[in-house]
Amino acid sequence: MIPPRGWQRWLVALAVLHGIIGCAGFFAPYDPAEQDRERPYVPPMRIHMVDTAGHIHFRPFFYAVQLRAGSFDQFEERTDQVLPLQFLVSGARYRLLGLVPSRLHFFGASASRIYLLGSDAYGRDQLSRILLGGQISLLAGLLGAGLTLFLGALIGAAAGFYGGWRDGLLMRVAELFVALPWLYLLLALRAFLPLTVSPLRAFFLIIVVIGAVGWARPARLVRGVVLSAKERDYVRAARGFGAKEGYLLRRHILPETSSVILTQAAILVPQFVLAEMTLSFLGLGVPEPVASWGSLLASLQQYSVLVSYWWMYMPALAIVPFFLGYLGLASALQEDAGTGKIEKVTSGGRW
Amino acid sequence: MRYFLRRLMQGTFLLIGVSILTFLFSTLAPGNYFDEMRLNPQISPETVAALRAQYQLDRPLPVRYGRWVNALLHGDMGFSFAYNSPVAPLLWVRTRNTLLLTVTATLIAWALALPLGIWSATTLGRLPDRAISGATAALLVIPDLVLAIGVLILAVRTGWFPTGGMASAAVEGLSPVQKLRDLAWHMELPVLALVLSALPTLVRHVRAAVAEVLDAPFLRAAASHGIPRRTLLYRYALRAAANPLISLFGFSVGSLLSGSLLVEVVMSWPGLGPLLLEAILARDLFVVIGGVLCSTVFLVTGNFLADALIYWADPRIRRGAPAR
Amino acid sequence: MERLLIVEKLEKRYASTQLLGTRKEVKALQDVSFSIARGSTLALVGESASGKSTLAYCVACLERLTSGRIIFDGNEITAFDEKQLREVRPQIQLVFQDPARSLNPRYSASEIVSEPLLVRGRLDKREREDRARSLFAQVGIPQEKARQRVAEFSGGERQRLAIARALSLEPKLLILDEPLSALDCSVQAQIANLLIELQASLGLTYLFITHDLAMAGHLSDEIAVMERGRVVELDAADKILQAPGKEATRRLIAATPRMGAADHPPQVV
Repeated sequence: MIPPRGWQRWLVALAVLHGIIGCAGFFAPYDPAEQDRERPYVPPMRIHMVDTAGHIHFRPFFYAVQLRAGSFDQFEERTDQVLPLQFLVSGARYRLLGLVPSRLHFFGASASRIYLLGSDAYGRDQLSRILLGGQISLLAGLLGAGLTLFLGALIGAAAGFYGGWRDGLLMRVAELFVALPWLYLLLALRAFLPLTVSPLRAFFLIIVVIGAVGWARPARLVRGVVLSAKERDYVRAARGFGAKEGYLLRRHILPETSSVILTQAAILVPQFVLAEMTLSFLGLGVPEPVASWGSLLASLQQYSVLVSYWWMYMPALAIVPFFLGYLGLASALQEDAGTGKIEKVTSGGRW
Repeated sequence: MRYFLRRLMQGTFLLIGVSILTFLFSTLAPGNYFDEMRLNPQISPETVAALRAQYQLDRPLPVRYGRWVNALLHGDMGFSFAYNSPVAPLLWVRTRNTLLLTVTATLIAWALALPLGIWSATTLGRLPDRAISGATAALLVIPDLVLAIGVLILAVRTGWFPTGGMASAAVEGLSPVQKLRDLAWHMELPVLALVLSALPTLVRHVRAAVAEVLDAPFLRAAASHGIPRRTLLYRYALRAAANPLISLFGFSVGSLLSGSLLVEVVMSWPGLGPLLLEAILARDLFVVIGGVLCSTVFLVTGNFLADALIYWADPRIRRGAPAR
Repeated sequence: MERLLIVEKLEKRYASTQLLGTRKEVKALQDVSFSIARGSTLALVGESASGKSTLAYCVACLERLTSGRIIFDGNEITAFDEKQLREVRPQIQLVFQDPARSLNPRYSASEIVSEPLLVRGRLDKREREDRARSLFAQVGIPQEKARQRVAEFSGGERQRLAIARALSLEPKLLILDEPLSALDCSVQAQIANLLIELQASLGLTYLFITHDLAMAGHLSDEIAVMERGRVVELDAADKILQAPGKEATRRLIAATPRMGAADHPPQVV
């Protein structure tokens, strides 16, 4: 029973990704709400090492952009001035991890604004918005998953441990929730709550809604584990020396649920981040001007944006590495628990 | 027989439970939306008063529930304030559109998933399996929202597909055959998005189910009796692998109404999804309730269908023995 | 009291609910009566599903009887409430058949063996570890292995741990539910001898449950033969083995492998 190393690698990768988003204020060059009406929908600007005269510069640099003569949405680089990229610059105020006030940014430029991932309709830097929007989406996903798992584990453990009519009732209710199409339920729940609320309230509202929808599946899994753990001989033995129920739960039964809960966490977090993104994309999530990955994508619902401004799709790709990390973690954890039996190569040679 | 009846009972209880849940949700709506209706200039105050009386909001909850169920069973699903029409015909049209997409997509997805999954399982660990598993893993990592928008952008940049809607502007003047072709052309993109998002899970399940059966002792025994490979695969292995796949199929049927919401919204397909969304934004609560109820009924029926199919297909269940 | 344990007309019935609400009653134990003298061993022998394990759980106060009495050390424990039972249970300890299942694989040997003491809340951590050490010595587990997990012990060692755990609360009666069945042949003898030694040194009383009549004869003073929930024969060990009375007993004797069986083929019953 030596724990395999697979899942730890995924966990490290995820920690790094979350760390970057957690320190989004540092990595983002600008404040996400900062507008620049002169530069709407600027395409991503390129970093150069070699200038137009053929000289190689040690410092990466970029060119400022300006509107092409005669066009109102085509931008071109002004190659007359080489603007160096600066690292560890002082910029807009933010709070690192939401706590420590700071003005230090990973990179920036003093002479002109640099849009590594382009800008939106108000000239706001997309890179900054994606990084800081990630904080909202990820936090909503993590908290929502936490709520669901807490509810699910509580109900599942109670149902499994006490059995009898309590178990029957709780599991019927769980079946009910599993039977409901979750996206529809999510939207419906959101519908029955006030539409226009402050961003903070909306945020917590969403977490509660997301969390309240998904508890049934983890509850059933935890219940299964508790049911089988309850019948183990060592639990019987402990009863034999006079152990009380609380002790049995704490020492023998609940530790067995940890692997199920962790695996469920790895599966649920990305789903809930996606749920928040979906809600925000549809206009039911965190409202402007707060950015979240979903609301950043909302502008794509306009045909003109879809056709001309492809970089507005970038926020959608931001979630992919997280999905990859979480799914990898989940299947590594499942293999650890022995449920991934198909993954091992059987004697497939015969066929 | 008992098993069948039990599942039927469970399904019915589920439906009743869902109806109660949905009804309760509607009563939770803050504020009286009839007040909002009064603010709407399109609806005359007389209509408001009449509807108010009809719905009898001051009666106790169980009574209202009873009247609601009663109305439901008579085909009356309430009134849509945004569309100014009864809800039922509205839902019917939109449901039909959604089913057009999802039934096509489901059939295509299964038609692809079965051979791919079987091929993957029979070549476990070798190149075809690795390639297929790699592709499904890559697809799985892309959430359906991302996929739908991505596909749409692809359409827009290449100009190969129409960028939304169900029919072109000039559709009225076309012959029936041309109308059909126009419809099919509009369906391509959403169906593509739906198939791509459903395929990886299906392929994985088929692969898992078949691989597990291929490894079973009874199959090795049959092989040692000299039964040819092809017969072994189709007659023996697939039969045994059918159970989990039938459940999965039932689930596919169940999500026919609810799985395509995002794709429909992104691609402007006039189905149940966009209707629900608009209803939410417009606070058109009867439509919301109706939509949720419809898709839930589908889901519950789909699961029940899966149980019924397993019952029919697996003699062990019929006899009451535990299935594995 | 000369007889430590007296069981009178014990009956245990289960109600199993069938599909549409009808109840079917299963009589697990019927009219079971026996007693065990202090310091001696009674073997309960029978085939599978003869109700042996159920009887063990009933005597260990882990299951409630449907009817009948159990008198332990002069007290009628069937009349006890839950609180009183909790005081009695430490005096009757169980050793299960499969130590791989009766020991929690997450904890170390020392923790497992001293768990009963943790439950009773009597000693602190240091004292529990000391007690564990002395228990290890009693059952023959090397001290270096104290911190290891169950997976790193052999089958015989695990059963020793289970016995050590049962001894930690200084019980009077030890119920051993097929303690040797899951062990290899050679190891069985070692554990059997350990049990005999412990009985002599600690003055323990054993209720020894097994399907192996030969082992029962080797270890016990009296044998009770069970068949389908009833005690069909109860007598001193040597008498039963030499002159079995009932059909069931004869079948069990015929089923035991013996050396030189080729010369005396077992009777086909």
